[in-house]
Amino acid sequence: MLLHPEVLAILLVNTLFFLFALIAFVLSVRIVLFYNADESTSLQYKLQKEGYLASTIIKFIFILKIPLFLFFVFTLDSLSNLITGAMCAAGVVDATVYGNYLFVLKILNLYLFAFWLMLHYRESKREVPRYTKEKYIFFLLLFILFMIEVAVEFLMFDAIELDKMVDCCGTLYSSTSASYISTLFHINTPLLLGLFYANGVLLLLFYRLKNRYFFALASALFFVSALLSLIAFFGTYIYELPTHHCPFCFLQKEYYYVGYLLYALLFTSTFYGVASTFTDEKRGMQYSLLYALIYMFIVSAYVLSYYFKTGVWL
Amino acid sequence: MRNRINFYLLEYALHSLWRQKSKTLFIGLVLTLLIFLLSALFFIASSIKHELAQSVDALPEITVQKLQGGKHTNIPSSAVDTILSIHGVEDAIARVWGYYYFQKAGVPFVLVGVDPFEEQYKKSLQKIVDNYEISSQEQMLVGRGVYEIFKEHHYEESFNFIKSDGSLYTLPIAGVFTETIELESNDMIILSKQSAREIFAMDADMATDIVVKVANPEEIAMVASKIQLAFPDARIITKEALQISYANIIDYKSGVFLSLFIVSLFTFFMIIYDKLSGLSTQERREIGILKALGWKVELILKEKFYEAALLSFVSYLVGVSVALFYVYILHAPLLRNIFEGYSVLRSSFHLPFVLDFQTLALLFFLSIPLYVAASIIPSWRVATQEADEVMR
Repeated sequence: MLLHPEVLAILLVNTLFFLFALIAFVLSVRIVLFYNADESTSLQYKLQKEGYLASTIIKFIFILKIPLFLFFVFTLDSLSNLITGAMCAAGVVDATVYGNYLFVLKILNLYLFAFWLMLHYRESKREVPRYTKEKYIFFLLLFILFMIEVAVEFLMFDAIELDKMVDCCGTLYSSTSASYISTLFHINTPLLLGLFYANGVLLLLFYRLKNRYFFALASALFFVSALLSLIAFFGTYIYELPTHHCPFCFLQKEYYYVGYLLYALLFTSTFYGVASTFTDEKRGMQYSLLYALIYMFIVSAYVLSYYFKTGVWL
Repeated sequence: MRNRINFYLLEYALHSLWRQKSKTLFIGLVLTLLIFLLSALFFIASSIKHELAQSVDALPEITVQKLQGGKHTNIPSSAVDTILSIHGVEDAIARVWGYYYFQKAGVPFVLVGVDPFEEQYKKSLQKIVDNYEISSQEQMLVGRGVYEIFKEHHYEESFNFIKSDGSLYTLPIAGVFTETIELESNDMIILSKQSAREIFAMDADMATDIVVKVANPEEIAMVASKIQLAFPDARIITKEALQISYANIIDYKSGVFLSLFIVSLFTFFMIIYDKLSGLSTQERREIGILKALGWKVELILKEKFYEAALLSFVSYLVGVSVALFYVYILHAPLLRNIFEGYSVLRSSFHLPFVLDFQTLALLFFLSIPLYVAASIIPSWRVATQEADEVMR
C-alpha cells in the first residue's frame, strides 16, 4: 500500500516532520537541562535563540498538521474504493489493528500541539517569561506521542492489504455487532439527547457566569456527548436511514461533505473551551460557545427538516 | 493564536523579494518546475483513471472466461444457456473477439465480432452497430486509428487478413467510426461474428468469453459464485474487481514514478536550503537595521514566513496552470508515455479534462511543506543575528 501516491505524500511530509521535530527535541532537551533565566552567560543567550527555532518548528508542524489531518481522512475515504468491502473510511480504519489508535492519537496530538502553541503565545506576551522550562518539558512529552503517531501511521499504511476483505461501516456500527461501540446503542436515545442539550445549556450558563474552569469542563463533556449523540442519533437523520450509524460516511460527497464542517466546528469549539482555562480573556469562551451553538443548530436542523419533510421521526 | 494577516508586513515581504530579484527568480523557477512536473504527472494519471473508469462502467457486470491449464481458451457457446438459467441473470452474451497482429505496421488490432440482430453488450457498441449498418456479413467497420494505418499501407477499400492456414480473407471497409471513448475504440475493428471466427480459426459453436448482465448490483457476488459452481474451470471477473485493478495499476505507476521522484525532492530541499543560507551583506544590513529599529525576532520570522508563503503560492499557481496547459492543450508529449502501453495505435487517445480537489491537495503536500521547511533554519539564522554585529 506504500506506493499509493496519496500515501507516499503523507509519508513524505511525516518524514519531514520527523526530522524537524528531532531538531526541536534536541533543542528542547538542552533548554530543559541548562536554561536559567537568572544567569546572563553566552550559553543562556544561545539557548534563548534556540528557543525561537524550536517554537518556529513546532508552529510549522502544527500549521501543516491541520490540513494534513483533513487530507489523511480524505485519503482513507478514497482508499475505501480500492479495498474490498470497505465503503467509507471506517472500513479502512478497521482494516488494521492500528487504525483506531492512530485516529485517537492524531486527534489528541492536534489538541496538544494547539495547547502548546496557546501556552507559547501567552508566554511570549509576558514581560518576563516564567514557564520556559515547563513549556519545553511539555514538548518533550508531546514529541514522544508524535513519534508514536508517525511510526503507527507508517505501520498502518504498510499493513493494509488490498486483496483482504474488510468490514464495512454497516457492520462495524450496527447494534447487533459485538463491538464496544454497539453498547452505545443500548443507552436510550432520550437520555443521550437530554445529556447533549443539557450540556449545551450548561455551556451557556457558565458563559453567563463567566466561570472559565466550569466552562472548560462543560466544553470537554460537550465534546463527548456530541460525538456519542452524533453516532447514535443525529447520524441516522443525516443519512435518513435508521440503521446507519457510521461516523465517517457523512464525510463523503453524497452528504455534501457535511462531516468536515461538523467535526471542524466541534473540534474548534472544544479547543477554545478547554483552552479558556489558560487565559482570562473572554474571547476564547465566546468562540467556543459560538461554534458549539452552530454545531447544535446544524444537527438539530437535520432532525427537524426530516420531520417536516416526512412527518415522522426515525 | 489570533494571527491576522498584517498587510504592511506582506507588502514589506513583497518588496524584500523584489530587492533580491535573481535569488527569488532562481528559487521560484526551480519550485515552479518541480510543481509543474508533479502536477503534469498527476493530471495525466487522473485523466486516464477517469477514462478507464468510464469504459469499465459501460461493461456488463460479470465476464466469464474458460481456463485450460491456467490459460484463457475458448468457451463453448452453449454455456450461455446454463448461465441464463441462474436466477438474477438478466442477459448473457457470448462474445467473439481477439487481437489481430498486422505485421507490416507492427500493430495489433482488436477485432470485435458482432451479430447485428443481437443486443450488444455495451451501449457504445450498440450505437456504432445502429449508426453504421453492416449491410452484409462480409464487411467491417474500423476505428479511426485503424483506418489511418490501413491507408498508410494502401488498403483503402478493403483489407486482407491472413488466416491461420496462410490463405487470405478479404473484408471490404464499410465505414469509419469516431464515436465513443477513444482509449478503447481507436484500435478496434468491428465485423460479423462469422468473419471473426473465420479469421481466428474458431469453431462455429465456440466463443471467446461470455458476458453476463445482472440487474440487481446486490446479487452480483451471488450470481458470480453460482457461475463458478457450474463451471469450475472458469475465471469469473466482476466489474468491481476490474475497476479496482485498473485503479491500482494507475496508482502503482504514479507511485513508482513518485518514489523515484523523491530523490529530486530531496535535492530540491538541499538547493533551497543552501540558497537561502547564503546571505548577502545587503541582507544582513537590512536585518540589522530592522532590529535596531526595534523589530522583534518573531516579527522578522513572520516576515520571512510571508516571503516563503508568497513565493510558494505564486510558484504553485504558475506550476499548476502551466501543467494544465501542457496536459490538456498540448496533450502531454513525452510524459504520457509512462502511462500508456508501447503500442503504436493507442497513443492517439485524448485526455479528458479532470481536475479534482484531491489532486490539488496532493500537489500541495508534495511541494509546499518541503519548501517552507527548507526555509525555516535559514530564516531563523537571519532573524537571530545581533544588530550591532551585523551593522558594524
